[in-house]
Amino acid sequence: MPHRELTHYAVSVVGADRPGIVAGVTEALYKLGCNIADSSCAMLAGEFAMILIVSHKKPFTKANLIEELKPVCEQMAMTLSVRHLPQGEEDRKETPGEICQITVYGADQPGIVYRVTNTLAARQINIMDLQTKLAGTEQEPVYIMLLEAVLPDDCAPETVEQLLNGLKQELQVEISVRIVTPVEL
Amino acid sequence: MAVQPILKYPHPLLKKMAHRVDGLDAAIHALVQDLLDTMQAGPGSVGVAAPQIGVGLRVCVVDVSNSRHGKDNNHGQLCMVNPEIISRSGNAVMREGCMSVPDYTGDVERATEITVRFLDSETGQEREIVASGFEAVAIQHEMDHLDGLLFLDRVISVSTGLFRRKQYR
Repeated sequence: MPHRELTHYAVSVVGADRPGIVAGVTEALYKLGCNIADSSCAMLAGEFAMILIVSHKKPFTKANLIEELKPVCEQMAMTLSVRHLPQGEEDRKETPGEICQITVYGADQPGIVYRVTNTLAARQINIMDLQTKLAGTEQEPVYIMLLEAVLPDDCAPETVEQLLNGLKQELQVEISVRIVTPVEL
Repeated sequence: MAVQPILKYPHPLLKKMAHRVDGLDAAIHALVQDLLDTMQAGPGSVGVAAPQIGVGLRVCVVDVSNSRHGKDNNHGQLCMVNPEIISRSGNAVMREGCMSVPDYTGDVERATEITVRFLDSETGQEREIVASGFEAVAIQHEMDHLDGLLFLDRVISVSTGLFRRKQYR
């Protein structure tokens, strides 16, 4: 179906983890005739989080969507947020640069995510995926961050390593950069 | 001799086991030429297997000599009929893309060195080579097509892959 005949929404649902969250939410979407165009769900600490881009043939409104999803979410005590996407915002803008996987880990301290991502943002490096975990023990917590980012054309992977080297010293964390640009076969 | 359209999943032929070739004849030589033409026409393509152009036979071509990852370690153009992997060792993960599965890529683990035996359609002789690095990955990827396997069947993680350890009691 051509995209202009579809209307898109960003939906997020978060609540205490339990069996049946995905089934409950997707049942409501299915009954409405919505398509799940893209989605990612994850368990974060004890919470289960769903982020979805859903589409529906026009005419369709945000109110239609909320009407069906709200009871499901309320019943499971989950937060619900719905945002209508302006035409075209649902299209993924592909960037041509190299893709890097960056791993950061070390003794937990405030600002690891901020300092690393701020350094990347200043160089126009676009993050596509990011996960963080708190590991280790209560006495010695270890922070782990894994992210994937697209480099602008004028930025080599070595440049990223150099950019992050300063932080590595300052924060006393391990940082490694690996190219994961796909090979075409 | 022509560039053939690449079949895309969910075309059923991509999930079928391809048949062994009995011997080299004009039809096989024409098929190999089509595979080569199609490979050379695909942007950045380093291999094509017969099922990808609609032929359910165990034939594939690989050439990584012009690619960034394979240019220093390769056997040039390989035209492989009934290829078989005799031995494999090592493993490494690469993010693979495939012309039959457009738009998506996935992390796949493959052997880093393989010994492959095949009927070389260019010489008509049985040939055995030891391939490593990117060439080995490309051969394994193309040979998977002969068994009806796509990289999607081998993706090791949908995400970057950091998981909480299972607690054993």
